[in-house]
Amino acid sequence: MNKWVTFLVSALAVGVATTSGASETLSDAQIAAIVVTANQVDVDAGELAVTKAEAAPVRKFAELMIADHSGVNKSATELVTKLRVTPQPSATSDSLKKGGEENLVALKKLRGGAFDRAYVEHEVIYHQAVLDALDRTLIPNAKNAELKALMVKVRPAFVAHLEHAKQLQDSLGKSGG
Amino acid sequence: MDRRGLWKLVLALLAFGSANANDSDAPATHTVTIANMKFEPAELIVKRGERVIWINKDLVAHTATATTFDSSNIGPNASWTLVTLKSGEQTYVCSLHPTIKARLIVR
Repeated sequence: MNKWVTFLVSALAVGVATTSGASETLSDAQIAAIVVTANQVDVDAGELAVTKAEAAPVRKFAELMIADHSGVNKSATELVTKLRVTPQPSATSDSLKKGGEENLVALKKLRGGAFDRAYVEHEVIYHQAVLDALDRTLIPNAKNAELKALMVKVRPAFVAHLEHAKQLQDSLGKSGG
Repeated sequence: MDRRGLWKLVLALLAFGSANANDSDAPATHTVTIANMKFEPAELIVKRGERVIWINKDLVAHTATATTFDSSNIGPNASWTLVTLKSGEQTYVCSLHPTIKARLIVR
């Protein structure tokens, strides 16, 4: 597990810990910022992978991540605009953003098959971590019904992406990544 | 109503009847909904010449793709219609999300 992945898992765990603590829960504005940041981080990784991935299926997957996560963010942005909610940064969204930037730095150092394996490995763990955060923290804590419904509607896409990334991981071979 | 008016009424009723007959003869249209990253129904049986319309209710684009047809991208809230020309059974996928599959059976 690379450094960024450890960072991501702990970043999303911050949200879980926060909600279980009595002192602080995530507001809808903070949840909105986490959703937008989580999608943007994967769009950014996809944009790098489109230019650097060696295997065609990995490039195609990266193009899909850009399209799907941009689409989700478009819907999320339309919703928060309609609800007049201004996404508000939190420790979780800040950590996600920082972790995403560190991941790009790490990936930029890799080439060829090593890049493909590292990118896909990160995609598997990223989607699993976001699903866990949706189930344990983001969906249960959302107060606005439309914000909650948006995340429920988005969830199956994350499941499909996770399965797709796992299939790619198997086809690339897990060793050497 | 004079005789001419009566004839007009009879002709109008006949025309209405024949229009109705044409409607019932028109090929049926079947709907496949794409939602929650699934094709619903997962298996659809139609008669040759009937239409199938795929309606995408997800937030992301999908396709309905098989060896004999390809919708290309169907955006959110968009749809695509296929007129089934040949009998046969085939599995189709979303070419963007290959984990999403369903079957179309044309009899």
